[in-house]
Amino acid sequence: MAVREPTLDTRTPVAPETGVAAGAAIRQSSLWQDAWRRYVRNRGALAAAVVFVLIVLYSFLIPGFWIVPGIWTDLIHDIDPYGVDFSQAYQGASLAHPFGTDQFGRDLFARAALGGQVSIGIGFAATLVILVVAIVYGGIAGFAGGALDNVLMRFLDALYGLPFLPFAIITLQIVGTVNFMTMVLALSVVSWFTDARVVRGQVITLKENDYVRAARAVGARWYRVLGRHILPNTLGILIISMFLSLPGVVLGEAFISFIGLGINPPDASWGAMANDGRDAYRTHPLVLAVPSLFIAALVLCANFIADGLRDALDPRTRET
Amino acid sequence: MATYVIRRIIWTIPVMLLVILLVFGLMKQIGGNPFRQTERAVPQSIQENLERKFNLNEPWYLQYVYYVKDVFTFDLGPSMRLRNRTVNEIVKEHFPHSFKLALLAMGWGLLIGLPAGIAAALRPNSLFDYGAMLFSNIGFALPNFFVATLLIYYFAVRNDFVPTSGWPADFWDFTDERLILPSFALGLFFMAYVARLVRGSMLETMQQDYVRTAKAKGLRWRRVVVRHVLRNSLIPVVTAIGPLIGLVITGTFVIELIFSIPGIGRYFVDAVAARDFSVVMGITVLAAVVVIIANLVVDILYGFLDPRTREVRS
Repeated sequence: MAVREPTLDTRTPVAPETGVAAGAAIRQSSLWQDAWRRYVRNRGALAAAVVFVLIVLYSFLIPGFWIVPGIWTDLIHDIDPYGVDFSQAYQGASLAHPFGTDQFGRDLFARAALGGQVSIGIGFAATLVILVVAIVYGGIAGFAGGALDNVLMRFLDALYGLPFLPFAIITLQIVGTVNFMTMVLALSVVSWFTDARVVRGQVITLKENDYVRAARAVGARWYRVLGRHILPNTLGILIISMFLSLPGVVLGEAFISFIGLGINPPDASWGAMANDGRDAYRTHPLVLAVPSLFIAALVLCANFIADGLRDALDPRTRET
Repeated sequence: MATYVIRRIIWTIPVMLLVILLVFGLMKQIGGNPFRQTERAVPQSIQENLERKFNLNEPWYLQYVYYVKDVFTFDLGPSMRLRNRTVNEIVKEHFPHSFKLALLAMGWGLLIGLPAGIAAALRPNSLFDYGAMLFSNIGFALPNFFVATLLIYYFAVRNDFVPTSGWPADFWDFTDERLILPSFALGLFFMAYVARLVRGSMLETMQQDYVRTAKAKGLRWRRVVVRHVLRNSLIPVVTAIGPLIGLVITGTFVIELIFSIPGIGRYFVDAVAARDFSVVMGITVLAAVVVIIANLVVDILYGFLDPRTREVRS
């Protein structure tokens, strides 16, 4: 585990750049500024971030703004993603329907955006839940140490035996209904184990650092040590693991919806849309290809972003 | 080493008990009754008889004890929906197909992913390296239902090389052409993962001091790679395969659906829809046991490959 700079506090100067003429102001740069500069230098990661943002913008702007329905609809693409029109079924790509239409004549350009809202929304919500659970569980285990750590980690070992998909499906069955929130719950219940381990490892490494000992020595309470000195320093690794977890969650949602146990029509997610396109792939490949390629693009970008962030936030682990 | 192996094996028992308890506890929370789906009202006495047959009239901890006893004697109980069918029969009939599918998929992964990763690491930043990593990134990102459909479209519909779906009934039939597409579609993800992992691990190993020493004392490059680099860089690959087995199981659900393979994943989906709790529970427990055993094997292998873990763990 790499040892990190003492603090991520932006007010603390980190190694001023050398070679500055005497008398001139020394340019200070924080760890985050450094990281940003390193990230931007990485072309692949930068491109991935741009594409990622574009996909998110597309999803949330095309079928009307999500929080306030309809606010953008008239401006950008005035087609209802739920609008059934059998006379328009299975249209190819055209100006009126950039991605064509599905078997009910619903416009896929609008529907893919709607599905994107659900898939990306579920992805990020589940990732956040995973991170919170991981921070609490891993933080307690790593910070407390000793017997409690041992018990928590052995329990985690046992949880590793849980098969992902069956458990997510059972969770959905327990809740009884499938919607946005229950999908988030089902996907996060089975995905927080690795992140909890990562947090624990990081906390244990940080705990032994001199500045933490110093904080203890001057009498800081445990919650201050944890909240001020340890958890902020796990932030970098958490941001990375957020983008590492996202692909798994997005694909998990797609799988569950694809086999028909997840998001159901008329609601859309990319997985549910792929399920719609399954039967007619020979004659109308667009219905399956559009959501699948969106999933692939999102996952690809998330992986590149995670790699870029890792290089940017922790240069020592950089690959050749 | 023997103590390490024995400790590790004994440790799986509480893990299994806990996992079964979790599955069992969760299943108890599911609402709905598998016996009340008919139009006619089931008479009270029949209802009670059914509950007695499945021990549903006992307190939950006793049910758990019965269930654990049954699981450890390899008896997953009767199906709640299908008369005269036991979960064991269903598992026996369908599980081997899923197992074979997963095995073949991992075979593809090792057959192509491993050499590709090694070759890419030996010539970093070469054209081959870029190509392999691009391929790996794409294979990693494409959802396998799309890969499967593309394969069917190009190799079965357009060109008629292989049938679009189906699966040999005989478990030991490894030459049937219908095996190729499903296992490749499922294995692509694994292949991409292995290639990336091997490449990263090898590049890291090649920077170690002992590799430089080996080179400095004049060993041929081939020998350095085989003896010093490969052996050490394959260790993380072995560890990564354990958790991956869970993901392969996840993939079989989708692939079985697309290729009409009579595997256990497809049966699981049907059982969930029919609220056949004993079948759902049985298959989940089975999948959990497979994952636990896979992790056990990986850990033991790891102990053999890397003596350091033995000391830390035991």
